Amino acid sequence: MPKLKVAAYWAADCGGCGVAVLDINEKILDLAAAADIVFWPLAADPKVEDVKAMADKEIDVCLFSGAIRNEENEEMAELLRKKSKILIAYGSCACFGGIPALANLFTREEILDKVYNTSESTSNPAHVLPMTSASVPEGELTLPAFYNHVYTLDQIVDVEYYIPGCAPVPEIVWNAVKALIDGAVPPKGAIFAGTKTLCDECLKVKEEKKLKEIKRPIEVMVDSEKCLLEQGLICMGPVTRGGCGGRCTKMDMPCRGCFGPTEGSLDQGAKMAGTIASIIDSTDEVEVEKIIKRIMDPAGTFYRFTLAGSMLRGKRREGVS
Amino acid sequence: MRKITIDPITRLEGHGKIAIFLDDEGNVANSYVQIPELRGFEKFCEGRPVEEIVRIVPRICGV
Repeated sequence: MPKLKVAAYWAADCGGCGVAVLDINEKILDLAAAADIVFWPLAADPKVEDVKAMADKEIDVCLFSGAIRNEENEEMAELLRKKSKILIAYGSCACFGGIPALANLFTREEILDKVYNTSESTSNPAHVLPMTSASVPEGELTLPAFYNHVYTLDQIVDVEYYIPGCAPVPEIVWNAVKALIDGAVPPKGAIFAGTKTLCDECLKVKEEKKLKEIKRPIEVMVDSEKCLLEQGLICMGPVTRGGCGGRCTKMDMPCRGCFGPTEGSLDQGAKMAGTIASIIDSTDEVEVEKIIKRIMDPAGTFYRFTLAGSMLRGKRREGVS
Repeated sequence: MRKITIDPITRLEGHGKIAIFLDDEGNVANSYVQIPELRGFEKFCEGRPVEEIVRIVPRICGV
């Protein structure tokens, strides 16, 4: 059997997804035996020009991580879509926007002003901002345009499969890689993860969920045996797809939802708001108000990893699409 | 002036490209390293509870 041609690329991400490929440890040798890496900036030297020179659909599988934040990310998504038979949204940023999509709570101008003018470590008396084109004595330099909004990969191009997780877990990465090597191709749109909720695989003892008080993780000594949500901590477990094995909850850290919404759920954050509403142990409006006011940052918590992929896609403002 | 572009810089975390300008003799006249990437952690960490920051900023670099 000829070797598969595999590519991996990062758009707006941290590189953690690329490292997660290496977390399959010695199985990387099986991958190397079955596939040639034709493009992977993290670990190999081929350039964008080399990808452009490939025939259409020459790449068998492309793992695309990172959200679409700027013009370059979009161009690379389109290029790799054209050159790949199978394009996989790899990691939470590509699947749902991930952490970079928290920027959708702000405008492009607010972000640029903070980063290049007002942040404590910045001195920029001339208020120079990045430009898509700049003249230097020797010629012209170009930079990709910074968008006003962060997008998921599938809001830009067609995607075959999804591997969520921040970062994806090694077992799932290997299962996906092995399925593709063996030619056991799942139906389009398949998500390589669990089909149930994170709660379903979390080993903590669950009793009755009744919330009288919402607490911050820094305010409680957690009982490791018991459900974190029942102890008053906001835990995204009930509304998050399983598959990670409860990596965070095992360490008594409440889930932040990096595996995205559960099967059939359209909006992870809205579902969390509904979940909280259904377990608040009060019918007194004043008391309910007092309880929910203790949720410090609903948008940034309920949509920690999925803002770009949510129904609202970000903060809505008058005059901003 | 001839321009050589190396895009992307590889085997590192992050996005970078290099523009090298050559003079008429083919020697390097000047070169520029550019970072085309920005996500804006400086801004979008604002409004997040302090105990959550330690779960957000590890995503600046995951290598």
